[in-house]
Amino acid sequence: MNYSLQACSRFTRSILTISKLFTSSIQADAAKCFPRITSFQLCSNFHSTAKRNDLMEFFDDEKNWGQNEVRVGRSWKAEELRIKSNEDLHKLWYILLKEKNMLLTMEEECKQQVRLFPNPERIDKVEESMKNLEKVVLERNEAYFMLETGKTGGRPGYVKIGALGLRHFYRETEHLIPKFMNKKWQSDNASYTHTRDVQDFLQRYKERKFLEKRKARNREKNHVLGLMRRFPNLDMEAVKEQFPSVNIEKIRNSKKARGHKENTI
Amino acid sequence: VYYRYPKGIQYFKKEVKRRKYHFSEHRPWTAEFKEENAPRKQMKKVFLEPIREWKIFKGDRVEILTGDDKGKQGIVSQVIQERNWVIVEGLNCQLKKIGWSKGFPGIMIKSEKPLLVTSEVKLVDPSDLKLTEVEWRFTESGEKVRVSLRTGRIIPMPHAAQETYDYKTKSTYKESVKDTKDEEVTEITYKPSLKTFEMDIMSIMGIKEDRIPHKTYWY
Repeated sequence: MNYSLQACSRFTRSILTISKLFTSSIQADAAKCFPRITSFQLCSNFHSTAKRNDLMEFFDDEKNWGQNEVRVGRSWKAEELRIKSNEDLHKLWYILLKEKNMLLTMEEECKQQVRLFPNPERIDKVEESMKNLEKVVLERNEAYFMLETGKTGGRPGYVKIGALGLRHFYRETEHLIPKFMNKKWQSDNASYTHTRDVQDFLQRYKERKFLEKRKARNREKNHVLGLMRRFPNLDMEAVKEQFPSVNIEKIRNSKKARGHKENTI
Repeated sequence: VYYRYPKGIQYFKKEVKRRKYHFSEHRPWTAEFKEENAPRKQMKKVFLEPIREWKIFKGDRVEILTGDDKGKQGIVSQVIQERNWVIVEGLNCQLKKIGWSKGFPGIMIKSEKPLLVTSEVKLVDPSDLKLTEVEWRFTESGEKVRVSLRTGRIIPMPHAAQETYDYKTKSTYKESVKDTKDEEVTEITYKPSLKTFEMDIMSIMGIKEDRIPHKTYWY
């Protein structure tokens, strides 16, 4: 049971026939052919939901106004969305978007009227569904581009070394003129020759980084020793999974791993 | 999260929040949790034994191994995985006096103390009501079940464990108008084709893009 208006096959088929006649967007189709009937009514013949005005779609069903609870199902999972066609996903996106707008309007109105907004987790559920949907769509596009071009179709980027010698991930932008003509871009993204100051700075920065890493390693090692002391029946496999960088064989026989004499074998 | 920097190009994309949260018997949305995790509040370090597969769920029958109620069996009423804790109904309690003042003796409140899953509590085989070690194994049909190592019987998942915020049990859930039915969710409508999402939608809606875009340079 998923929380969305029913994007079912009957809806798909009905809209498919209409879209062949008209070459405009889905929303425009619905407005032209079925004035003021919303998507869920097309497929839910046994549900008696009232007709909505165009702007009243921003608000919830009048039955839910002033309620303490509006129970609703869970969000769409990525596995459930992966088996759906692109067309269904496209429609579901707009259904979710409208639902999210409606919930946000209701939340704001409840704030204005100083009333309880029932089940605010509905907004989180819709956002999660939309996130999963976008993830699935991006997966499909990436698969196509990797097959055809060998690169993901996303925004290209690379690691660039800045003026201070530090590395940043630079994302490329789209320009109308080529690089050799773009004087402004060249002056903004000039490359630097690293002077003695930069080298000194980098040396100290690397030292600091090294010390931080060493402290983190020691901290993890001491934590694992603390676990060994306190829990005599410790599951070593689980510890290895949680702390992969700690060498358990090496520290197992150290003094600090010994717990209370009554706990040791 | 204590503070989020406002949205804007002039602000950092940062959140001021706690690095490690202190979990206790109070759940994260309660005021007591917020008090325990207030900024600059230092709580004693908690050593949490890592467990790979969780075996005890809400509604399970369990026997207590340590404390005043040693040897007694009870049903788990709450599980707190962040601390490897289990709260057994009515057992391992403490008495607390509240609201005492001059002349008024105060009210005694009995509350259950949490028990560590690894050392203080063990699952009970429902067939003979005795302690067992439990392992997760797969059945012939591919279902993951808990098997008691002493008797070899399957310990079924309790009904209380399927409770979520939305429903108590799956059968008692009342469908709302906006829910999608089970058959529609499991229906496979995806037909893989060598097209991007946008290309597929354009072909279905009959949108034809004949315009050739201006040459752009990416750098």
